[in-house]
Amino acid sequence: MKMVSKHNRSQKSSASLSVGLMFLLVLIIPLLPVGEASAGEKMTIGEVEEVVLMPWGVRVSARIDTGAATSSLDARELTVKNNIAEFKLPKKYGSLQLRLPVKEWQKIRSADFKEQRPVVEITFCMGPKLIHTHVTLNDRSAVRYPLIIGRNVLKDNFVVDCMHSNCLPPSCPEVPSR
Amino acid sequence: MMGRSLSLFALSVLASFFLFTPEMVSAEEKVTIGTVEDVILLPWRVKLPARIDTGAAKSSLDARELTVHEDRVEFKLPRKYGGLKLRLPIIEWRHVRTPEGLERRPIVELEMCLGSKRIRTLVNLADRSMVKYPLILGRNFLKEDFVVDVKRRRTAKPNCPDIP
Repeated sequence: MKMVSKHNRSQKSSASLSVGLMFLLVLIIPLLPVGEASAGEKMTIGEVEEVVLMPWGVRVSARIDTGAATSSLDARELTVKNNIAEFKLPKKYGSLQLRLPVKEWQKIRSADFKEQRPVVEITFCMGPKLIHTHVTLNDRSAVRYPLIIGRNVLKDNFVVDCMHSNCLPPSCPEVPSR
Repeated sequence: MMGRSLSLFALSVLASFFLFTPEMVSAEEKVTIGTVEDVILLPWRVKLPARIDTGAAKSSLDARELTVHEDRVEFKLPRKYGGLKLRLPIIEWRHVRTPEGLERRPIVELEMCLGSKRIRTLVNLADRSMVKYPLILGRNFLKEDFVVDVKRRRTAKPNCPDIP
């Protein structure tokens, strides 16, 4: 009889324990940041970030532009011969002369004339990521940033928080230290 | 006995969790939005798709048949979105950098609902008939409350508490 009651009590307490735990779980599960988990894998960047053009190790400031479908690079003195684009980066970034194969041509519809711009492939380091991407070449001397990073780069790796800038410094192992 | 005290403990832990999280969330957590989101213009309750554009410093609205009367501006929303005629006070005039050069545009204040946030913000007015979205939300709008994930699109349905 005594045994039974003891048994009963322990059963009762373990029952209330498991009820408590269940309750805890049921309440906590919806609080777990499910949406955040996927956002958490993406890195948060600001409206402007420094990136390093590889393999040249040139640091440039990039405007992070969710309004741009593709990325583009400020190319000065641009000429295309035999499908090779030759251009210089702006003086501020050392006027580095580059020769890169044209991968495609992008049609631009401006207000009243049609234009075609060469697209090349470049590699740059943003935060810890080495990114290979297509960029449209364009003389952007009127604009403040030599590189515009558009949705084609942002979509898989980054979320943008305009409250910040330069919040994810380049840290690829391939990047030479300053 | 031990079980009961354990579950009581769990409950109190939970209670404190509940008591403290809501404020923390609203203070720190920004709403994640995509490249295009529907917003509702208030008080007219007109729904418009907006391009979320971190490349734009300021927001702008497609204003058709725009005329200026002293310190007020009168314009219509695009017909596709009901063509509503609006008269609003001009807050200021600003030079805005466009691909075609500098342009002087009137700026008005608008109230809108995006996701669960009701926000008053400044937008410049321009005929944007060339452009796909009637509203561009720029960094002045985005910076306090939103984070942009371009993988998303229309994931933050307008649901402000006092709008049916």
